[in-house]
Amino acid sequence: MVWLRPVQMLLIFSILVGMIGFTGFLHAGSAPELEKAKGENCIRPTEWMRRNHMDYLLHQRELTVREGVRVPEESLRNCKSCHTSRARFCDRCHTYVGVAPDCFQCHNYP
Amino acid sequence: MISEYSAIEGRSPRFYKLLGGLVFLVLIGAGCFLAIEIFGHGITGMNNQVVWGVPHVVAISLLVMASGALNLGSMSTVFATVQFKQFTRFSAFLSIALLAGGLAVLLLDLGRPDRMLLAMLHYNFRSMFSWNVLLYTGFFMLCSLYLWSMFEKPQYTKLIGSAAFGWRLILTTGTGSIFGVIQAREVFHSAITGPTFVAYSLTSGTALSILLLVTTFRLTNREFDMRVLFALRNAMIFFVFLVFYMLIVEKFTKFYSPASYDVENWLLGGSMSWLYWGGVVLIGILFPLLTLFNPATGNTEGGIMFASALIVIGEISYVAHVLLAGQTYPLTLFPGYEVSSSFLDGQMATYTPSLVEFGLGLGGVGIVGLIYVLGFLKGGNFPGILDIICFFCDSCGNFDL
Amino acid sequence: MGRETMTMDRRTVLGLGTTVVAATLLAPGVHLIAAPTRTEAKEGRRWAMLVDVNKCSTDCTACTRACRVENNVPIFGDPNRDIHWIRKVEIRDKSHHRPTVTLPVLCNHCENPPCVHVCPTAASFVRKDGIVLVDKHRCIGCRYCMIACPYKARSLVYHETSFPKDGNPDVPIRAMGVVEKCTFCVHLVDAGKQPACVAACQNSGEASMIFGDLNDPNSEIAKRVREVKTQTIRPDLGLKPQVYYQGL
Repeated sequence: MVWLRPVQMLLIFSILVGMIGFTGFLHAGSAPELEKAKGENCIRPTEWMRRNHMDYLLHQRELTVREGVRVPEESLRNCKSCHTSRARFCDRCHTYVGVAPDCFQCHNYP
Repeated sequence: MISEYSAIEGRSPRFYKLLGGLVFLVLIGAGCFLAIEIFGHGITGMNNQVVWGVPHVVAISLLVMASGALNLGSMSTVFATVQFKQFTRFSAFLSIALLAGGLAVLLLDLGRPDRMLLAMLHYNFRSMFSWNVLLYTGFFMLCSLYLWSMFEKPQYTKLIGSAAFGWRLILTTGTGSIFGVIQAREVFHSAITGPTFVAYSLTSGTALSILLLVTTFRLTNREFDMRVLFALRNAMIFFVFLVFYMLIVEKFTKFYSPASYDVENWLLGGSMSWLYWGGVVLIGILFPLLTLFNPATGNTEGGIMFASALIVIGEISYVAHVLLAGQTYPLTLFPGYEVSSSFLDGQMATYTPSLVEFGLGLGGVGIVGLIYVLGFLKGGNFPGILDIICFFCDSCGNFDL
Repeated sequence: MGRETMTMDRRTVLGLGTTVVAATLLAPGVHLIAAPTRTEAKEGRRWAMLVDVNKCSTDCTACTRACRVENNVPIFGDPNRDIHWIRKVEIRDKSHHRPTVTLPVLCNHCENPPCVHVCPTAASFVRKDGIVLVDKHRCIGCRYCMIACPYKARSLVYHETSFPKDGNPDVPIRAMGVVEKCTFCVHLVDAGKQPACVAACQNSGEASMIFGDLNDPNSEIAKRVREVKTQTIRPDLGLKPQVYYQGL
């Protein structure tokens, strides 16, 4: 029954799409309220940070660990001076968008 | 002489039982992997002294046998031994299966297997490990090409088979050199560790091929030609002597130098010496030779099978001896001094393997078995994928399996 | 250029070289709100340590305790799996001709480190200033380095660790399944301070350990290594270790 093959594949595909859509439906809701930062402005514009903080941190990480480049003002440790709570800032958004960075397995950010 | 190959139907209850058993092994392995992944290496018996344990013994034994499984193919393709030509497909395919099983165990025992992709992005070309990864990948490709050429382009078989033969020698030298190049470890730091691994790949590969061929032939109601078996036996005897020679040369060199008196005396008389005398010497060399040279057993299928099983155990014992004894013997920080500290400096390490480690190893064996068994199936059951791997003869025509 | 400790004025920004060009590409629209203080490991430096064995008393564990506190090194209670970045080793002459001594043993930050050579992912590496480090972000936990290191300087994290209650927030803990070892307290060294063990040793009054730049002819360690007879552990292996022992 060769003709059945495309039907089967279509079915599997639509089930997959449906499942993804359903998880989206379960998580739907308005964006989480993030804690307001303490300082006046971030080391980069907020819009830019929202999009690029992960790449930026990753890049800084490579530089710091491997080249010994240290810029205390731009370190993960210094984020804390404005975004005081990991739970109310970092985690809230990470949970909402469904990512699980493992930075805080080791790095201390109470 | 077999010239025709045929697949099995794979519909008998016995076949499903075999399949089920192997799947069960793989599931055990998967479960143990998940357990280690979730709870960490704390649930294994490994520690900061013995950092490589049973999973590595199993994995490296399988990898050494993977290169050895190519023996039959090489004897036919490279050395033109016509009577082995019928087993070239079996040989190349078994190599791939063993390689997959061994590598799976090795990778699944990593502390952070989730970072495998990362490992492929950053390569340190000075690492013996990296070289081995390249060697394994290359061997995998060459074996696949070898198999493909047998089916599609026989005119290339000689070329590819020879390349695969050369590659496997380098591959196993590389596997042995993972240990051989480590200067810090007195037990296995030696130029001869690599060649000894090659010798072991020759014995264990041939032995495993004998075991699997005879069993498979029995299960599929085919008759195994005794002349072929005797030829394999003779090759195996030669290979065992080769191993024996390697071990003698190593011990001779070590015992000639007073610097290694301590470590060698411990190896041959210390807490791990049972593995050497019992596993490597008795089971791996003496018993098989006695069995094979005794006309009452050496000329029978059962006797040869028994010796083959001993030889496989002997190979695993040797790998275990290198790994475990090698790590148990303390590092010499201050030659000529006794040392002690809260970090167990100067003490023999202790290592009690846990069940999950054996489980992970069994999973690897299950993967090998599963790939091997699926290789017999007629393409029909798995459309398009396994068509090319129907081997074994159809001269008798009746299948029970 | 770009290797000096400096504030970023316009001229240096121009000359910072490829690393920063890459950073700039990654970060379009960079605003330097305030010129940040940027420090970098210096090529040409060679951090090294010297231990005066005669001054190291048997019962003193100031260095090992300080290391545990500074670097949040966990104790699991299983001597087979406890992690030691630095440990006190007692050595006795087998023929009883020489007195028994104790000395601290730590990562020797070799010039030819076998751990770095064997690491398949280059997670272990030598920094420009000679410090051997493990990039725990990249370590896959294969443990080959632990096989290769002749000083037993490395440990695998066998169990889950959590941040100690009064832990040092400057040093991250290490996740399960990676390999860790002494860093020469790189975070302190980069801030111009002494490693914790050395500071503790000085404060304890023993003053057995000193630390400094071996390539700086005016540093105390360079002078001592020049003037006094020192030795390293297993120099025969050719690794050129950078922890020197005096009076061994």
